[in-house]
Amino acid sequence: MPSLSPDRRAVLRGGASLGALVAAPGILRAQTRELVVGGAAGHKAWVEEIVVPAFEKKHGARVIFEGTRSLVNLEKMQKNRDRPYLGVVQMDDPVMILAVKEGLLDPLTPARVPNLAALVPGTVHMDGMWANYLQPWLGIAYNTEALRQAPTSWADPYDPRYKGRVIVPSLQNTEGLPNIFAATALASGKSLDAAQGDVEPGFRKLAALKPNLLTVYTQQPQAYNLLEQGEAWMISSAMSSYALERKAAGAPIALAAPKEGVFAMPSGIAVVKGCPQADLAFAYVDLLLGAELQQRLVGPTFSLPTNRTVPRPAGLSPDMVVHQIDWANVARERDGWIKRWDREMAI
Amino acid sequence: MTAPAAPVAGPVPARWPLLRPDPVALLALPAFAYLAAAYGWPLLVLLARSLSGPQGISLAPLAQFLSDPFSWRVIGNTVRTALLVTLVCLLAGYPAAVALARARGWGQALLLLSVILPLSVGVVVKAYAWQIVLRRDGIVSQALVGTGIWDAPQRLLFTETGLVIGAANVFLPFMILPIYAVIRLIDPRLPEAAATLGASPLRRFLTVTLPLTLPGIVSGVAFVFSLAVSMYVVPSLVIGDRYQTLATLTGRAFLFMRDEQLGSTTAVILLAVAVAVVVGSTALARRLGGGGHA
Repeated sequence: MPSLSPDRRAVLRGGASLGALVAAPGILRAQTRELVVGGAAGHKAWVEEIVVPAFEKKHGARVIFEGTRSLVNLEKMQKNRDRPYLGVVQMDDPVMILAVKEGLLDPLTPARVPNLAALVPGTVHMDGMWANYLQPWLGIAYNTEALRQAPTSWADPYDPRYKGRVIVPSLQNTEGLPNIFAATALASGKSLDAAQGDVEPGFRKLAALKPNLLTVYTQQPQAYNLLEQGEAWMISSAMSSYALERKAAGAPIALAAPKEGVFAMPSGIAVVKGCPQADLAFAYVDLLLGAELQQRLVGPTFSLPTNRTVPRPAGLSPDMVVHQIDWANVARERDGWIKRWDREMAI
Repeated sequence: MTAPAAPVAGPVPARWPLLRPDPVALLALPAFAYLAAAYGWPLLVLLARSLSGPQGISLAPLAQFLSDPFSWRVIGNTVRTALLVTLVCLLAGYPAAVALARARGWGQALLLLSVILPLSVGVVVKAYAWQIVLRRDGIVSQALVGTGIWDAPQRLLFTETGLVIGAANVFLPFMILPIYAVIRLIDPRLPEAAATLGASPLRRFLTVTLPLTLPGIVSGVAFVFSLAVSMYVVPSLVIGDRYQTLATLTGRAFLFMRDEQLGSTTAVILLAVAVAVVVGSTALARRLGGGGHA
């Protein structure tokens, strides 16, 4: 908002924080109130079609959605630390951890975000620094023409029948990390939750996957092209928000939920510390965590709701076990894992 | 080359004494200033960063990187791929440059267009196209099976062979054009004169044409090698995450691991490799072309 003069900014900032006490919002509303939300480019469609109209109707303020990548959002917050212009960020949990370390987030409290109380356990992180508003889930995507039967287990990609036909995501992609935990669980017999500690057996198990690998992707659309064209038969692990969208568009693929359970992907939302219009920012977060909006979003985003009162989308078994990933652990270990992965998975 | 019988038909090329200041040299100023600001300065920052550790300036990060066998594997991947790409481009590009220089009229225009037009297609588009071409049921595989070279379709995609084929396609024009530019300047009567003296076609090529075109070969090789050694998009898409090169490792260090030390170290090593080749080939070109031709 380059047109705002510093004086007006200061007024707005002060007004926003005092808003609840002195009923200042009534005065501020006379001006055009704006909330800038930083999120993923891929989210633009559903944010602008569903979330923004609902918010603007309820709060009478304009929302500007800046769609980019999580790390770019983080940079925007770092660069504008003294005068933040972003109000809300929607980013993956691993990036949220970096933002918390840098002191860039304002914690969510039940007083400012009443819907926090309605969330399922494990979806509010680091004392309320951020919450998960939706959870895409990770399973095994497969080509329905090449495979008559859906994969049933995380062990299926290791089957010698699939030599050169399996694609996995790189560890530098968030959706690639569960492969280490799945491999550790397979090698050690532990549950997918317990397998997140010592991943040593997992790395040894992953070496057995090498003959089956067609490639390790960093560009998701590329991997899905290969799957849809039948050059690849399986992507393990695959994100529901991408795989099911392609399936809905008519691609000959489906997403299987392995019997050991699926992993939840981390779609986090947080308020930027010191942002202008903090009242609007918290209201936006509350709206996204509320039952009404989540009900409308689970369909178009092919995700699981985090609000307890919202049922799972149609077609998903109520018995499907959803495992949470310990992202703080991932943040500590990830660089080491990537270095090891580069060495051991190299051609 | 002091060609004794060559008559001076065209204008005499001007000779600019390099040691005396020349106002014409000022023409280079805008480009020089631009490169100094947009390339030279960031380069100095990068160099400084790669050499600055927690305890001030030190070579420790570099030594640490080079003491890791995996790093040598990455350097090996980078240099080997670049050399193979350069070799393929040279073998395919030289005859093409000869044909281009010998063609006349519409034929030449058409050939030139077919060399230059691919440059306007984005490298991402090309890389995606190679994925289709290199598939098990793609045309390369079909052709090899059809001609009996292969018994059954094999995997080319995400192999080093596939990467070299794909990258050579992207960089081929950078080999053809400099060689073509040099061949065009060769007096066609020189090989003819050799022929009248009884030299066989092979001997004419080896003793007359090839030495005269060496400066073009050297600049083509320098172009293609320095492009291939630093390519990022092509390996990312054609071979993927399992084949790390200095360029892909640099990208990952900065973009994902946020390890600026590692990123600047790999970037500086990459730069050193590329500079060594460019400087070496320029010196070579000067020696080879020193007879007065270039």
